[in-house]
Amino acid sequence: MRITQWPTSGRRSGRPGTAFSAVMALVAVLALVLTGCAGSGGPEQAEATGTGEVSTDVSGTVRILMENVPDTDIVKSMVADFNKEYPGVEINIESLTFDQMRDKLVSSFQSSSPTYDLIVVDNPWMVDFANAKFLQPLDARIDSTPDYDAADFFKPLTDITTVDGARYGVPFYNYALGYLYNADDLAAANQQVPTTLDELVSTSKALKSGDRAGIAMQPQRGYKIFEEWGNWLFAAGGSIYDADGKITLNTPEAKRALKAYIDTYNTAAPANSLSWGMDEAQRSVSANQAASMINYNWQLPALNEPGSGPAAGKIKLATIPGGKQVLGSWSWAIPANSATPDAAWAFVSWITAKPNDVVRTEKGGAAIRQSTLQDPAVLGGQFGEEYYRTVEQLLANAAPLTQGPSGEEMIQAVGTELNEAVAGKKSVDDALAAAQAEAEKIQG
Amino acid sequence: MPSLRFQHGMVAPLAALFVGVVGFPLGYAAYLSVTDYKLTDRGAPNLVGADNYVAAFSDGAFWGAFGTTALYVLVAVGLELVIGLAIALALQKQRWAKDLTRSMLLAPMFITPIAVGLTFRFLLNDQLGAIPAMLDAIGVEYDFFGPGRALFTLAFIDVWQWTPFMVLLLLAGLESIPKEPLDAARLDGASGLYVLRRITLPLLAPVLVVAILLRCLDAMKVFEYVFATTRGGPGTETETLQYFIYQTGIQFFRLGSASSMAFIVLVVVLAVIVIAFRRMERTKSR
Repeated sequence: MRITQWPTSGRRSGRPGTAFSAVMALVAVLALVLTGCAGSGGPEQAEATGTGEVSTDVSGTVRILMENVPDTDIVKSMVADFNKEYPGVEINIESLTFDQMRDKLVSSFQSSSPTYDLIVVDNPWMVDFANAKFLQPLDARIDSTPDYDAADFFKPLTDITTVDGARYGVPFYNYALGYLYNADDLAAANQQVPTTLDELVSTSKALKSGDRAGIAMQPQRGYKIFEEWGNWLFAAGGSIYDADGKITLNTPEAKRALKAYIDTYNTAAPANSLSWGMDEAQRSVSANQAASMINYNWQLPALNEPGSGPAAGKIKLATIPGGKQVLGSWSWAIPANSATPDAAWAFVSWITAKPNDVVRTEKGGAAIRQSTLQDPAVLGGQFGEEYYRTVEQLLANAAPLTQGPSGEEMIQAVGTELNEAVAGKKSVDDALAAAQAEAEKIQG
Repeated sequence: MPSLRFQHGMVAPLAALFVGVVGFPLGYAAYLSVTDYKLTDRGAPNLVGADNYVAAFSDGAFWGAFGTTALYVLVAVGLELVIGLAIALALQKQRWAKDLTRSMLLAPMFITPIAVGLTFRFLLNDQLGAIPAMLDAIGVEYDFFGPGRALFTLAFIDVWQWTPFMVLLLLAGLESIPKEPLDAARLDGASGLYVLRRITLPLLAPVLVVAILLRCLDAMKVFEYVFATTRGGPGTETETLQYFIYQTGIQFFRLGSASSMAFIVLVVVLAVIVIAFRRMERTKSR
């Protein structure tokens, strides 16, 4: 608005006709520029993928955008070995915090000139990115890569990468949740690892002693509470979607799960922890202020690392009561506007190939392949066989929070309603009815 | 008329800069606000006219965020004004180590807000934080991020960080006030409170208006504290405008809707500024 007013404001030039023409010209130019700005970048259709058999002579620079997490550091440490096989490929990894990364990713997709040649995609984004044709379908590459054995990846992880029957990524690492508990506390309270929802509630209450919480929970509004409560829902025998893909958040199982969650929060969680997320829960368990939590499986090694806190060495991992857990994952994907898709696939197929996946997992990377968890080198490694056996069980029966479009919005909407119920601002029935309605509205 | 052309020529760089730096983003946002543009869309978006504005006007959550932000600004800036004025009046009387106390007082302003948010997230943590531990020692239990309290906790964080800014402005204003009316009032036997109410504050009024306006505009932009601590919870109690618009535009990719909301906020803020300045002008001319 201001632009169109500028030339006419201020002193008069004495030539209104010229000024008017200038304004009209400016408006016309601006309209054209603005219309051309939005969504103009990138090819309209994702390019057909090339072959998976990339020659070791391939050359080019692969610019990768990754999250600023330990798994990224492990990948960086393996680049030198990759270059022994592919000397012509330069790997250039940029790591950012989660929120910065998403913002940069989306803007890079809109660019007509490629910004990144290889990316990692969080599971709630997969359907949106695939539908927007931001990602290259990888079926042809996956199927033609020698000795790749894609069926060896845990199926819940590859299910996330599959949109309308096409695979848009390969697993990078898992975010499966598990039940983490202080074994000494459990023994002292004469309790067993809970295997049902009722036992989870009673064990959490039994583990509470004085100021020490029985379970450190994460009822923070949005993603965190939904991610945690999803496990309670599964433990109650409920689901987020039914077999036909319809949302099932307003069911008797969901009500039972939410009532149990609120009861446990009020009686066994740290006082005043309504805004707690992952960091607070981990610190609470690590500092011996809480006896258990539901959190990511790969937090176990950090919690047990000598010197990490008074609870070090005492924490164990189990499946969620009932055996099914919430799953998050990151997947490697090649943007549609990647400048070096062959070199990018060379790197992805190399780092996720069986022998290199063993090395990555040995270094502490999160598991993605079934065969890796049978490898003696991994089982006999620093984290121990018991840990990997449990991870295997977690990944065998896990489901993500969302499986449709606008996943992030659906998660936030449901997470807001759940938080309202825990805060006592809404009844369980009202919150779940609203969550169901919101999720249906968002995901159609 | 060469002189007129010269004048236009001189203003041209400024005009170009204005169009580029302010005009283009504003124009682009205005354009997006009348489209159905999503960040995950390809190709040119469809024009939807006033649909986004109609949706925003009828969106209870948007107006809820508006109300939340207004309450936050009112509490935060109100406290900053009172505390800032008290500190500024005290500092004006200070005789020695002026530079040391003033530089120490300004320290919170130099910390990036996201770091302040993260610091308070753990300082106020009931199990791990120092402040609840100290309160516990004297038998007080307080849920800083609980229902009905979280927004005030965020306002308190704002007060901690930005009161020094208020002090800085008010102190500069106090020191520029002519001394004669104050001395005359004291000679006439006026009490301290009378001098403050009848002489100091009226003379300080222009500075006060600017200070309040600047702080209000800044407090309206609150995002980092919400992001670092409550993420808008409990429920939607701390869902401020910036967080709401950020979620709509960036997290949920609906940039068209977010732009229309931003424009509504812009219009409301501009209206408030214009009213404030007109009132100030009117007071001055009396």
